Parts: sequence; structure tokens; C-alpha cells
Amino acid sequence: MHLHRLALNSLAWALLAVGAGAQPSFTEPIAPKVSPVSSSVRPAAYQKRVKEVLDWRAALVKPEDPKSGGLAEVAAQLALRRDAEWCSRKVTELMKEPGGDMFWMFPVTCIAYLGRDQLSEEAKAAIREAWRTYMPMRGDTENHWAMYYTSLYLMAQLWPGEAGGRWFSGKTSEENLRESREYLLHWMDLTTTVGQGEYDCTHYIGEYAIPMLYLSAWADDPAMRIRGRMMLDWILADYAADSLNGLYVGAHARTNEAQLFEKWNGLSSFFGWLLFGNCPPPAGYGGWGVYFAAAASHYEMPEVIYRIATDRASSYTEIERKRTRHRWRNSDVRNAPVYKTTHITADYAIGSDQGGLLQPIQQHSWDVTWAVPDPRGVHNTLFSAHAYHSAFEMQMYFNDLPDYMPEAVTFQGKPTYNKEDRFLGGSPHEQIFQKEDALICLYDIPQGTRFGHVNGFFSKDLSRLEEDASGWIFAEGGNAWIAYRPLSPYEWKSIKGGGRRLFSPHLKNGAVVQVASRREFPSWEAFKQRIRELPLEIALEPRPRVRFTGLRGKTIECTYGESPKVDGRTVDFEKEWKLFDSPYLQAEKGGRKLVLMHERLERVLDFNTLQITDRVRE
Amino acid sequence: MIATITKSIRVAAILSMVGVMYSHAEPRHDFYVCVNVASRGSVMGTKLANLSGLYRATDRTTPVHVGFNHIRLETVAAEPMDPKQLYASALNGVLRTQDGGISWRIMTGWEMTESKDIAVDSNAPGHVYACLPDGLAVSRDRGWTWKRSDEGIKRKYCQSVVVDRKQAGRLVIGTEKGIYLSEDAANTWRCVQPTEATVYDVRQSPHAASVWFAVTQSDGAFRSSDGGRVWTRVASLTKDRTLHNLDFDANDARKVLVCGWGLGVRLSEDGGETWIERTPGLPRSEVWRVAFDPDFPGRIYASVYQSPVFVSDDLGKSWRALWFESAVVHDFVFIRRS
Repeated sequence: MHLHRLALNSLAWALLAVGAGAQPSFTEPIAPKVSPVSSSVRPAAYQKRVKEVLDWRAALVKPEDPKSGGLAEVAAQLALRRDAEWCSRKVTELMKEPGGDMFWMFPVTCIAYLGRDQLSEEAKAAIREAWRTYMPMRGDTENHWAMYYTSLYLMAQLWPGEAGGRWFSGKTSEENLRESREYLLHWMDLTTTVGQGEYDCTHYIGEYAIPMLYLSAWADDPAMRIRGRMMLDWILADYAADSLNGLYVGAHARTNEAQLFEKWNGLSSFFGWLLFGNCPPPAGYGGWGVYFAAAASHYEMPEVIYRIATDRASSYTEIERKRTRHRWRNSDVRNAPVYKTTHITADYAIGSDQGGLLQPIQQHSWDVTWAVPDPRGVHNTLFSAHAYHSAFEMQMYFNDLPDYMPEAVTFQGKPTYNKEDRFLGGSPHEQIFQKEDALICLYDIPQGTRFGHVNGFFSKDLSRLEEDASGWIFAEGGNAWIAYRPLSPYEWKSIKGGGRRLFSPHLKNGAVVQVASRREFPSWEAFKQRIRELPLEIALEPRPRVRFTGLRGKTIECTYGESPKVDGRTVDFEKEWKLFDSPYLQAEKGGRKLVLMHERLERVLDFNTLQITDRVRE
Repeated sequence: MIATITKSIRVAAILSMVGVMYSHAEPRHDFYVCVNVASRGSVMGTKLANLSGLYRATDRTTPVHVGFNHIRLETVAAEPMDPKQLYASALNGVLRTQDGGISWRIMTGWEMTESKDIAVDSNAPGHVYACLPDGLAVSRDRGWTWKRSDEGIKRKYCQSVVVDRKQAGRLVIGTEKGIYLSEDAANTWRCVQPTEATVYDVRQSPHAASVWFAVTQSDGAFRSSDGGRVWTRVASLTKDRTLHNLDFDANDARKVLVCGWGLGVRLSEDGGETWIERTPGLPRSEVWRVAFDPDFPGRIYASVYQSPVFVSDDLGKSWRALWFESAVVHDFVFIRRS
């Protein structure tokens, strides 16, 4: 079982951020919102932000301290074309002790390419030697492989015609290049036909975006270059459509303990800040952000993606199909489909998957996020989860011996994995369905399950929280009015860091959630009364069952273990869930083609023909 | 001559200091330890201070690191006539060295990851079988090319593979859902013993080739006396604990070792009919791996989770810490020198 160090670093970056030089966009008040920013000034604003990242990182080098600086500082200095002599010395020194697997490979790849005309011959030779003597782990998941093979591809391209003895892999340059290309094409094909496996990750978005940027910047083969470019657009368009003011919302294959509550606080917000300019960057620019910034001059954000990310004048629902990570055991399906729904308005977003064990450890299955003027320090979200953990889950996705894994995870940056107050992670006993901004989640937890309760997260930043005699809980977050109807009795427990935990120790359980904007109602009382009047039937035996007609007039019927119904029609996920289906993104399953649209703008990413087509409708 | 004597005295002194039973007989096998010595908080991308991967302890006193630093090197196997030709199952795939570990090549490509076990057919040199989390891979050319060969296996997860030392192309594998047998070099498979969960280890007796043993996650242990065709549950071993591995004593056909999570170490002196508790003296009962030393009768090794490797020279009646501060041993492997 191999998790990785990215998730461990939030605190480190925060500490670094405090002790380091200026990060104006992280520390200063948010500038007044201007949306959309004119296309004539956006590139300059983008380059200014890029420079802010690089300047900050480069300034961490202390001339008086020969130990200061590492790979990131070298990358920043080289990107700024500063102090090639220091960079060369540092690289020569750092290459003596390589380590960090694919997280070492891509920074070194970045440095090798940025340093082609800056580094000394000695430094270049040191890099070359490290790629012979140090065998990085290839990893055990999609983001690892994206980094590993992108790096290996580019380095094999940089050093062609070399024998196997010159590479850690024992393979020739041509063999390394071929294998890397095959993997990358395989991954792109999977992603553009049945969806990403590690989909919509709040941190790991970087581990796809950065490698794809490098391919688009540095691959000699024009086909690989355009593939990298298209995949980068694909990933960023996916994020753009699932974001609210730069915050990645709804269901995620992976997020972390911090960003689960403070939705802004992660690497995804670095991309929101850098590319869309619509949220502050996280501390230290998300840590890895510098490696995107170092090559960012090679990327120009397409206007259509920018507008998808920033235009929330109209509400919309996006349907997405993804897939699970590779399942090794406890499943007859290698990559089961994931069916996502996300509804976004100017004031709030609500998003979900279908529930179940779709990813190990860090899955986040549904939430409500409300818009806030400044997201820093704010827990602007509400959701529930079954505090499930098991060796069964671990064995499904990892191939280690079973018994130690649940405990081992807690030492590897996931301290809450086996804790009863856990909010992160999926459960095989959870089933979710969402229609627009109404959601039903059901839990049918077998007797004997280690934790047989449901945890609901009610933030410290809710401005109202009322328990109504009707059984509904009414909450206000920003301009979002949220109605949450627990299906079983509960009590409140406090949460370290603020907020309240709805603790419901009943195996047959669930919740009905309806969100609306305060603009829709003349008063808070009117909202509550309208919710109370909505038709709602609840049964818990023999299985949890809910029939609910939401604010938008749709009647949703969910019975645990059965397909949901909308207005009496059974939902057929397999037929109805495209790869992307929204006013902004359209892609068919198996299509290898994504159409991005915003008003008159259209961009088509076609992997069948390796063509990017831009169109403006008259 | 003087140098040789000096060396001999030095070795004896070292052996004496570490308490290892000294034998004038040169071990017939090289002892390989496939180990992860990174701290338990290490994750993918952690810069590793200690060298993990493959260690060779030719003289049983000083383990020497061989090859790359690799935290997930599961096991090694050698070509039958050339102990310098080693295949390793590792997270990066199947690795091969032809010079005793000086240089290595990753023999598999991107499509084969996290190999769990590997076996070479001693009657068909160059025929190599590798367990993968999603099936079984076969090479007929010393690892240069591979193809999957797992038709008929219900759940593809493959943990353990053994080639019958008496018959070329006859294999037994442990999978997620049972023990499978192939008698045609992995072209076809049949389930000879279904299980609820993973079969973690399969072994053939070094004495009677018809005797096989297997241990599992939740079905206890199984024994076969007809070459792996029919298996019978070993009633004297628990089903309540995950059994990680077993080993036959090359020096005594009646002795068998088993270990597991929460089970500790158990020794049988009657071919698996009854078991003696051999955990006392170990720091905890979560035991990852056990092995007999074929060259030193009575000596056994145990890897206790996140503890040093322990050795006993009295079949587990007493133990002492031997190597590493905190280790997880994926396998102990003895490879005959010639």
C-alpha cells in the first residue's frame, strides 16, 4: 500500500508560507471581483501571477546559507533565468542524493529542460548520472504513473540513443520512450472514453496538470505535444465546470482532511487563482504549484475554459461519468463506473457520486458548498458520511497483506482513517442520488460493522442552524439556505476546529437535502415553510426508503439497493450518464472527444483526429 | 594463508559477538532477505534514508544490500543452473539481473505492475512465471517477453506461485479465490481448492514432491498429498487469523513453520498435524514471514512487523534480534550456490 507525500505537506507549506517572503495573493485581501476579465488583459494578469509564484519561491534561497534551496528553488530560478551558477552548484549537490520517486522525477525533468541552456555541464552530467543510479518507484496509482511516464518520456527524449546500462530501468532510451508513450496513450484513451480514475481530485489535479503541461511544452513529437495540450485542457475544463469561485466542489475521488472542511485550502485553488484569478492561492502556492508556474509560459488558458470557470450567472447541472481506481480484489469489475452529478449556482453548489467504495481512503461522496466572499479559513460546506474503514476496502485497491493496512494508513498522513469521528471516505453501505439541488443519501449498515453510525458535518461558519419540529434541520451558509432532514435520531457532538457533528448511531439511516438561494424566498420563514410543505415519505424498514418532491418539482424515489426513480421513471445510469453532459461540456462515453461551450465560444478537443478546433458562433 | 586465517578468526569473532552458532561448513545457499526498512510513516515519494530491497547474507552474519533501493521488492528466484541470474518481483514489475545483482533491468512494461511472486521452472530453464495483482504472466525467454496466461481463473489476483520441481510446466498458484493447478505450463487452469479470500502462500515439500501446503487469509491452511490435486483443510490451524506464509524444513520432513497476523509463529514436528507455539520471545505476534535455514539445522528466522529480523537456533524456543531496527520482510529466500 502506497499513499504518497503530497497529502502530508499542507502543514509544511503553511509553515513555510509563514516564514518565507511575500505571497501577496495568499495574504492580502481579495481584490474586488471583476468577471469576466477582458481577454485583452488576462494574459498579462496570468503572467503576473506566474511571476509572483516564481519570485516567492526563488526568494527562499538564502545566499548566506549554502544549505538553503532545493529542487523547487532551482526550478524557480531557472524559470526566471537567474543565477545559473548557483543552480548548477545546487543541482550537482542535490543529484548526489536523489529520492522521492516520481515526485523527484518530474521536478528534475522540469529542471533538466529549463536548464538546457543554463546549467553547467557538470550539473547536467549529475542529472544524467542520477537517472542511471537511482531507481524511482513507478508507483501504484494513476497519478504516480502520469508523473513517472511523462518524466521518463521527456528524459528519454532528452538523451536519445543511449544503452540500457545508462538507465535505472536497464532499458535503452528508445525502449523507455516507447514504453512511456504507450502508457500515456493508454491513460489518455481510458480517460477520454470511460473517464478518469482519480477524478476531480482537489490535490492530485496537480499531478495530472503538471505532467500534461510538460508534454505540451517539451515533447518533440508534435502528436504527443498536442495530446499533452488537449489533456491539460480536458483536466482544467473538468475542474472549471465543477468549481464555484475557484473552489473544487461536489464529489471527489480524493481529497484530504483539511480541504474536506476548508474547501479552498488545497492545490486545486492554486489553479483557480493562477488560471482563472477567482480565488486566493493556498499557502506556498500549494507546494507543487511552482512546477506548473515554471513552465506556465507554455500554456495559454483558452477563453472558453476561463468563462466556464467564472460565469455563474445561470445555474446548471453537470453529469459526469468517471471510473474507479483499479480494483485488485473484492470486485468482479476492474474499473467500475462512477456517476457524478453537480449542480452549481452563483450562491451554492451541491454535488455527489452514487455512493459505495469508489476509491480508497480519501473518497468524498457528496457535499453542499456555499459561496463566500473570502474562503480563507472558512468551512463553507455541509455533508454526511458513514465512518467506514476496513481491510476489505484496503484489499480492494491495494495488494498488501490485509490486517495491518487500516492502521498503517493512519501513520501515512491519513490519521482519521480508523476513527469514529471520521468524515472522509466512502462506504459500501451508502447510496446517493441527486436531482438538481435535491439529494437523498441512504445508509443500510450491516450489524457488526465497526462503526455503525453516520456523521454529518455542520460547519462553524453556518450563520443559522435550527432544528425544526417537523424533523428538518434548517441552515444558512452565505446566501445558501439548506434543508437537511435526517432519517434517524441523532445527537450533536463538537468538532475539533469548530462546528458540530451530527452523530446518528442507527444502522438504517440517511438524509434528504434541499438547497436554495435566499433570493428565491421573501424570508427565512418562507423558505422553511416551503420546505415543510414539500411531499416527503420516509421508511426505514425493511430498507431505507425516501420519496421526496423537491423545490424544482421533481419527485425522487430512492430505496436502498434499488435504482432511484425520478417522476416514476427508473434511472438507468449506464444509459443516461455521458462522460460529460452539461451546458458547458459535452462528451459521449467512448467518444474521445470533448466539446467545450460558453455562449458563442466553442472548442472541440478531438483525440480521434488530434485536432483542437475553436469556433465562434456569429 | 595468513590473510585467510585472519579472516576466519575475524568472522568467528563476529559470529561469536552476535551470538550466531558458528559452523565450519560453508553454507550451500546464499541467503536473500527481501525487506522494507523504511519507517512505517513512509509513503510513495518519501526520501528513504535506509536501503530497502534485496540483501544477501552469504555468511549469515553481514547482510549486504544488492541492487536498487526498493521498498517493495517481494521476492527473488534464480535460474536453476545459474544463481547469478536472478528474477525479482517488485513494485516496478519483474526485474532481472544476470550478474548477481550488479546490474538490473525491468523486464516487464507498463501493463504489468506490482508483481507479487515469481518462480522459475527448474525443468525448463528460462520459463518464468510471475504473479500480478491482475493475473499471471509467463515468459518463455528468460523474461524478455511476457504474456498473460490466466484463462479460467475467476478472480485474477495472484499472490503465490510454485512450479513443481518434478515436472516441467506443472504449477500451483494461490489467488484471491482459491488454489489453482495448471499441468500445461499455465495454458489452462482449474480450481482445486476454492477459498473465501486470498491464498497467501503455497509451498511444495522439499522431501516428498507430492506434499504441498497452502495458507490463506480466512480459510486457515490446506494440505495436499497428491501433488496439489486434492486439498484438505488443516484442522489444527485457525481460520480466525490471516496466515502469511509457511516453510518446510529442508533438513527434516516432519517440520513445518507457519506465521501470521496475531498468530505469531507456530512449529509443527509431525508434518502439520499438531502445532507448537513459538511466539514467546518475539516482541509481538504480528509476524510477517518465517523461514528455516536449510544450511543450519534448527535455525529459523522470523520477521515481526516493524521490528528487527529475529533468529532462533533452537527452533523458536528462544529468539534474538538479528538485523535491522525496524523491518518488514517480504520474503526470506535461499538460493543454492551451484
